[in-house]
Amino acid sequence: MFLTRSEYDRGVNTFSPEGRLFQVEYAIEAIKLGSTAIGIQTSEGVVLAVEKRVTSPLIEAASIEKVFEIDEHIGCAMSGLIADSRTLIDRARVEAQNHWFTYNEKMSVESVTQSVSNVALQFGDDDADPGAMSRPFGVALLFAGIDRKGPQLYHMDPSGTFIQYDAKAIGSGSEGAQQALQDVYHKSMTLKEACKSALTILKQVMEEKLNSTNVEMAKVTPEKFFHMFSKEELEDVIKDI
Amino acid sequence: MTSVLSDINQEESHYAPKQAYFNPYEQNGGTVLAVAGEDFSVIASDTRLSQGFSIHTRDLPKTYKLTSSTVLGACGFHGDTLTLTKILQARLKMYEHEHNKKMSTTAVAAMLSTMLYSRRFFPFYVYNIVAGLDEEGKGCVFSFDPVGSYERETYRAGGSASAMLQPLLDNQIGFKNQHGVTKTPLSQEKAIKLVKDVFISAAERDIYTGDAIVLNLITKDGVKVETFPLRRD
Repeated sequence: MFLTRSEYDRGVNTFSPEGRLFQVEYAIEAIKLGSTAIGIQTSEGVVLAVEKRVTSPLIEAASIEKVFEIDEHIGCAMSGLIADSRTLIDRARVEAQNHWFTYNEKMSVESVTQSVSNVALQFGDDDADPGAMSRPFGVALLFAGIDRKGPQLYHMDPSGTFIQYDAKAIGSGSEGAQQALQDVYHKSMTLKEACKSALTILKQVMEEKLNSTNVEMAKVTPEKFFHMFSKEELEDVIKDI
Repeated sequence: MTSVLSDINQEESHYAPKQAYFNPYEQNGGTVLAVAGEDFSVIASDTRLSQGFSIHTRDLPKTYKLTSSTVLGACGFHGDTLTLTKILQARLKMYEHEHNKKMSTTAVAAMLSTMLYSRRFFPFYVYNIVAGLDEEGKGCVFSFDPVGSYERETYRAGGSASAMLQPLLDNQIGFKNQHGVTKTPLSQEKAIKLVKDVFISAAERDIYTGDAIVLNLITKDGVKVETFPLRRD
């Protein structure tokens, strides 16, 4: 096993004899070192919550950003290499604006995810357009948004695979968090319940004690679209858990 | 003295540079007309394709069905119309594959605008009108200039007889310059009758409009096409 790996895990586009792409698999492993992020979709909207690892008291916690606005109606949470996520987030934003420019309508959550997945797959392609990477992206993303199909949540991993979820956890605590989500999730969940559950589960899987500075939360609703929780709004939810 | 001067002038004019012109466009005539109702829209065109005093064909409708709820009317230079409609069809198919949904009339209009503007400095010499139903199921008409300026309207005539038809529509549908009338919403039957009548009038005066009308009625059930004869001289 060790021998086969060492021979076939060099080239990013070389399949092993068993039909595996090790670099992609390692990239997926890299996500499991990242901070935990949770997304929950309800009929009222979608919520994204992430933990911020404030490893030193000298870190300005507000400068760590892991939830982004892609467009008015779509948000995105990441886990993995923050720098890698910037490229993908940038692309998502450009694609969303291009779509609006050309068609005068909001881009669907699925289409945004699809367009980002196209970039995620271009690694190792020597003559791909500039901006393409020589290795797989070390990030997993959760896209949350509202489109004509209603509230939607998509997960994308470094292989470019994307799947729609009712609730999904990524990052180091994802295994425990995903199990917890499965236990707590039900179709008639309200958005308020979902926000509370997301933080409760984060609290369970986080090493540090959860507070309003070491988590980030955003919701996307049909009424207010993308909305990032302020410190006060976060404290409001935290005091109930 | 004068004779010497004029001699020199003649000599010069003999060697004067000649400017060569190339005109890439042609005017092939034709008229399109679209009217939006509450839950329907009508878009019609004549079927004559001409160039100067000669008629190329009497059977060329200038309306193009794009989706089950969107129809394009296009006239001007027929060569550009052919290319433009071909690119539109391709873009429509690509959109449907990429986004797993049918393109709405409003999206078609927005896309057409960007397509026309992308040729800002060598334009498609085509006057476009897009008619259909919007996302709420209401009738809608979008009119364009050849470089992509567009607006949503309730009625619009385009092409060779547009200057004759538009004021007539202003009066009959927009109730312009009428006093003491109740502005009743346009029914399907009245819209169709009106479209036929104004085309008959246009064919009387405009030599580039005639032969037949092709009338598309767009409702939630799809596009119904009807044809009526016009004068052929």
